[in-house]
This record gives sequence, C-alpha cells and structure tokens, in this order.
Amino acid sequence: MRNLNTGKENTWCVGCGNFGILAAIKKSITALNEDNIPLADIVITCGIGCHGKIFDYLNLSGIYGLHGRAIATAQGIKLANPKLKVISFGGDGDSLGEGLEHTLFAAKRNIDLTLILHNNGNYGLTTGQASPLSYMGYKGLSTPMGNVETPFNPITLLIEAGATFVARGYSARIDHLSTLIQKAVQHKGFSFIEVLQPCVSYNNNYDLYNDRCSLLENTPQDDEQARHLAKATEQIYLGVFKQELKPEYCESIKLQDNPQSRTERMAQILR
Amino acid sequence: MPTEVFSVMVGGKAGEGVKKAAQVIAHLAMACGKHVFQEDDYQSLIKGGHNFSIVSIGDRPLWNSYKQHDLIISFDDRSIRTHGLELNPAGMHFCNADDCASADDSMIRLPMTSLARDSYGPNGNVSLAAVVIFSKVCGLDPDLLERTIHKEFSRDATGAITYLKKLDFVLNQLDLSPLRSWHQASEPESKLFSGNQLIALGAWAAGLDLYFSYPMTPASSILHYLALKRDSHKVYSIHAESELAAANMAIGACFAGKRCAVGSSGGGFALMQEAFSLAGMVEAPLLCFLSSRPGPATGVSTYTAQEDLFFALNQGHGEFPRIVASPDSFERAFTLAAELMDLAWEIQTPAILLTEKHLSECAANVHLDGHYLPDAPDSLNPKKEDYKRYAITESGVSPLKFPGCANSTDADVIKWNSHEHLESGVRTDAAEQIVAMKNKRKLKAQSLSLATKRYQRIASYGEGTTLVFAYGSTALELREAMKYHPFKLIVPIYLEPFPEEELEAYRGKEAIIVEHASQANFAEFLRIKLGIKAKANILRYDGRSWDSIELAKLIREAEHA
Repeated sequence: MRNLNTGKENTWCVGCGNFGILAAIKKSITALNEDNIPLADIVITCGIGCHGKIFDYLNLSGIYGLHGRAIATAQGIKLANPKLKVISFGGDGDSLGEGLEHTLFAAKRNIDLTLILHNNGNYGLTTGQASPLSYMGYKGLSTPMGNVETPFNPITLLIEAGATFVARGYSARIDHLSTLIQKAVQHKGFSFIEVLQPCVSYNNNYDLYNDRCSLLENTPQDDEQARHLAKATEQIYLGVFKQELKPEYCESIKLQDNPQSRTERMAQILR
Repeated sequence: MPTEVFSVMVGGKAGEGVKKAAQVIAHLAMACGKHVFQEDDYQSLIKGGHNFSIVSIGDRPLWNSYKQHDLIISFDDRSIRTHGLELNPAGMHFCNADDCASADDSMIRLPMTSLARDSYGPNGNVSLAAVVIFSKVCGLDPDLLERTIHKEFSRDATGAITYLKKLDFVLNQLDLSPLRSWHQASEPESKLFSGNQLIALGAWAAGLDLYFSYPMTPASSILHYLALKRDSHKVYSIHAESELAAANMAIGACFAGKRCAVGSSGGGFALMQEAFSLAGMVEAPLLCFLSSRPGPATGVSTYTAQEDLFFALNQGHGEFPRIVASPDSFERAFTLAAELMDLAWEIQTPAILLTEKHLSECAANVHLDGHYLPDAPDSLNPKKEDYKRYAITESGVSPLKFPGCANSTDADVIKWNSHEHLESGVRTDAAEQIVAMKNKRKLKAQSLSLATKRYQRIASYGEGTTLVFAYGSTALELREAMKYHPFKLIVPIYLEPFPEEELEAYRGKEAIIVEHASQANFAEFLRIKLGIKAKANILRYDGRSWDSIELAKLIREAEHA
C-alpha cells in the first residue's frame, strides 16, 4: 500500500488532539484497504481551520475546499461517482457554523458519505474565538466577557437531521476512533462521527475527557435513549449512538451513468 | 415594411393558463408552417394578478414579439383595461362575458368561465378558450385543433372536448369571418424551445450529467426542465439547499470527472462568488448559467435586464482566467452552452453563460441542426506516472485525472486545493511557489484566448451606414427592428476573453449602443475595450422588452441627434 504520509511539515501545536485523529484515520485507511477498498476509491474533503490541515498530511486524493463547504463538495463527488468512499473532515466552526446547512442537508438526504467532526470547542486557527460548540462562559477573543450562547449537541442535532450512523470518539483513544471510522465508512448512508479533540492552546480539556469519557456498552435502542446518553455530562459516552439502514440518496434518485456519445445525445435531441 | 406578422395576445389572471394557451397557439401556428415568437409577461405570484402572453406569428423568422396585436383574448376585465388599446385596425378582441365590465361594443363577448364550469366542473379553466378562438379566427382545420387538444390538454381531455364543443357552438352563432385561413403544412423541421431549454440541451449535448441549482427566476426553468428529463436523458438535477451548496457540489462533481453546471440569477450568483473563486483556484471547469433580471438585491423577479455585465466579468475574488459569453439568439443559446462546456474543460477554468430573462423565458421555433455543434477538443492525455494535479506545462493547463476512474490508478494522488499550492496540490505559502502558480494561471489565460478563436466570437447583422452595438438578447430585439430601418449591428458573443481581433476594424468608431441597463455598462465596456464613442445610448431599464418598431424609431432619431 502507498505511504499515507505526504512529507509536508506538520504545523499543529505540540499535543494537539488532531494528531490522534490523523493516527486513527491512517489506521482506518490501512484497514479499509486490507478489506479490499482500493486507495483510488477513497477521497477526502475538508474545510478551513486546524482540522483542514489533515488534507496536506494525508497522501490521499481529494479537495481542500472552502470554509464550511467541504460537505457540499463531498456530496458533489459522491453524486459524480457513487463508487467512491468519501470522507469529509470538518471543524466545529466549519461544519456547524459557516456550513451548518450542508451538514444538516447531507444528513437529511442520507447520502452515503462520512463526516468526521473535529470538535475542539473553539476556532483554533483564528486564535481561539468561540465556536458553535464552545461551552457557556467560554472566554475567547470574540467573547472576552464569556460566551452567552448555548452550544449545540452535535450528536442529538445530527440524529434529528436524519443521519443514519451517529457516533462519538475521542482523539486520545486512537484504536476506538479508528474502529468507529471504519464502521462509518462501511455504513451505507450518511455517517457522522463527533471526535472530542482537545485544543492545547485555547481549550485544553484532556483532563476532563480522560476523567469522564467512557464507552457505551451497546448501541442505544432508540433515538430517545441515544439523545439522553449523548447529553450526559457526568459521563461522556463514546461509541455508536445510532445505526440504521434507510434509503440512500444516490439510489433514491436512481443515479446511473450516461455513456451516450455527443452524436448520440444530439440524435436524441433532434428526434 | 416586413412580411406579414400576425400577433396574438392572451391576458388573464395567474392560474388561468395564459402561458399554456400561448404555447398551444404557438404549436398550432407552427403546424401551419409559420414562424413564432412567444413572450410571457408574468409576476411573482401564483394566483390572481395579471399575466399575459404574446405569440407573434410570421412567414419569415421573427426575432421579437410584437406589442400591437391582431387578436386579443382577455380572460378578465383587467386584461381589457390593460391591453384594450393594443389592437391593430381590423383586429379582433375577444373578452370573457363573465368578467368584462370595461368591454366596449367592438369587443366580442364569450361566456368563457361559465362554459368552462359547465364542461369541467366548478374549477373549470378558461385556457382552452383562447386556443379555440385563435383556431377559429385563423381558419384552422377543426381536426388539427381536436388532435392538438387531445395531446396538450390530456389531463382532462373529455372535459376539454366538451368545452371545445360549447365554445364552437357559441362562436358559430356569431357568424364571424376568419381573419386568416391557414392550413396545416408538412411536419415542421423546427420545434418550439425557450432559451433556457436550449441552454440546458446544449450543455447536455456536450456531456452534462449533473445540474446543481437553487431556484431563482429567470434561471429556474433550467432546473425544472432538466429535472423532467431525468429518466429519458439520464441527467440529474439536484435542487441544493442553497446556491453555495450548488456551486461547491458542482466543483466536487468536476473533481470526480462529471460534466456539470450551475445556474441562477444575480442574487444567487452573488452567493456563489466564493465558490466561483474556488473554481479559479482549484482549476475546476465550472460552467455557470447567469440569467439576469433587474436588480439590485431581489429587484424585479420576473422581468429582464442587462445590469450584471461587470458583475459577470468580475465574478469571484482574486485573479484567475474565466470565460464570459452571451448568446444573441436561440440557436446560439444551444451552441454556446456546448462551447462553454468544452472550453471550461479544455482550459479547466470557470465559464459563465450570461443571458437575460428575455432570452431565457421567451420561446421560438428553432431548427436545431446537429452540424453546428462543434466536436469536443481532444482531452489531455495525462502522463502515466508521478501524477501532479498542478504540473506546470507550456500551456499552463495541467493534466486531469479522476479518482477511481479508468484514467487513474491506485498510485495516483489527485489533490485539488483552495489554498495556493505546489504542483502536487499540497498547500504552500512559499513566495516562489506562489509566483509559479500565478504565472501558470496567467499562461492559461493566454491559452484560453487562443482556444476561443476556434469558435464564432462576434456576430454581425444587417447593412447600413449606422453602426449599432449590443449584446445578448438585445440583439434579437434589434434584428427585428432592422426590418423597419436599416443599420449594421455588431454583437460580441464572447465578452471575456474579448474578441479584440475581430473587432479591430471598429476601434475608436462612433456607434449607437443599445442595452437594458440604466448606467450604460455595455457602452462603458466598449469604451474601455475598443475606444468606441457612444453617438447615443439607447437604454431601457423598466424590465420590459422593446417593441422593435419603437426601437427602430429610436435608432432613426439617434442617427439625427
């Protein structure tokens, strides 16, 4: 298998949670490849922010897109070639702020691709402003008196939007996260993984996560239980909150290749 | 004077089937071997208000609709009040006896609504009445009318035939002399197409597989038309959550090797700006259809304008090559959509087909001939190994490979990057690499300019000492005006790259410049590009199309100004 490193100098902060996500994705890609998914069929997209740098560190094909739009770009790729396994990386500002509409609509469509949300609870690359997932009271450059907005809960939000695979991982639990990514990629339909990702510079919550994270014993039996467990704060649960099979978008619109030549198309128009 | 034109106007409330009636009238006229031009005037509402459609009919091609009519059919009183004075001498105005408080004795009253209710039930629609009246007034064969009704009003053909019989009975009692006696001709070679349908089909002929859009008049009918063609044409219309989604999806689809397009009006394009810039950076062949209406902002939703010229030319932030071209006829809408698709893919840069409501939504009988659809240029043959998405080449154009497709292997890494990048597609901030990529894109601009020369970049119509410049659908209005007053019309089809060579002969000349804008944008553009001196600016910015007879008069006046 091709080396998954690009040789590009890594500029994440020392101790950044993104290193764990990078390690987990490489492990997942290797495993998927051993599972007979050719690297040529794996494509990534990402938005703009610390998470996006993963594009330059992964020797995989894809589009380093616009802030917030990577999940839209990913859907275009999937529609053009449904055979491809498309993995989209997003930050919390990226996928739940600037590009919230695309995240919700991708889930609503149940289009077969995977969104990995790097949840570091702030805008790291633009020096720590509050994000849609920042806790109440979070102090950043744009909220020096403390964030007054209630953060989204990404798991319950995506369940409500219609995602058919919803999970949570933690960047420091690489093996567990890698297993989640593999399951998500193999899931037929829209899959979403919230990855708890400590930001050592602006939101260092390693201690909190190390203390409170625990694995779900089973996939919750219904959405109500899933939402209840996703909202728990004394224990922060990791694992698959929801997995079900529903009609997938590309199949629902009966997407087919059109091999007609220009002459054949012209003849059809003139008929 | 030009050859005979017979113009029909149908007016009524939204929801009464005004446009439908006009379409069927146009089809019937075409069946009699006539040329037609159909224009629909409607407002941004679903029921009520006032809509009207014009079908101008002639023995020779028509380039515009007429504003004075030989036959007026008013479904309601408001239509009588609005259009009562638009009747030609010897014309006939039929009004709906159920709603005609303002009618005068010269008008012919038919109880259209009550007969429709007797025929279809309480929600009976009067649309068919206009078709039946037209058929009677033009002396059409009753068989042709009945066959057409079965085809075009198939939802309730029984009701429609009942309505026809009742209308026929009343009309026969009036003992009218038909104004014309037209007979069915052999199967017409041309078909009735709107500009938007031709844009959609031209792009499809050139390989369009996916269309991404968010509804915005007057571009929406491209989305609707292609959505209907899903199964017959294997083309997929995606109604995205926003224009931002549509444009970013389209770039993703380009990356995966599928020919696609996006479309909107000015407001939607404003939302697509960042993605347009992305297309410039990642070198995506993003084909865009921009159909203008009066702005700024939401502006006037359902009317025509040419205010977006500089907006189209300057779409997206940053520097990168782009193509902007505007069709000057229905046939050109078809060929240009195909050309721009090819050029976008050849040079790997975004292209805008700039048009207006007037062309997008008017319809005419168009004879599409496969011969004038140019072949696609050979696609680049990528090197087998060590693939670099942004490899620097002599032309500036890098080889394209697509993930998971026949032209790539497991060893290829295909990276498109919105950041400035290395040849590999990995991000860079290095000064010399920034310059290298900027120079590569500049080279592409030169290659693009050369590539466009393969196609017809300007059009010229008519003869005369007066020189007139226009672009887009204004050329249609002027070609009809030319039948009343001679002048030479020059139309740049390509606006960027600008066809300087073809237009060199006009550098510094004096000309009359005609456009649908209040600020003479096109005149300013011609001044910058060619030093054209405006002898007169003929501007229209009320959203309406010109009456070509009136336009001819304005040109004559401008000559003597």
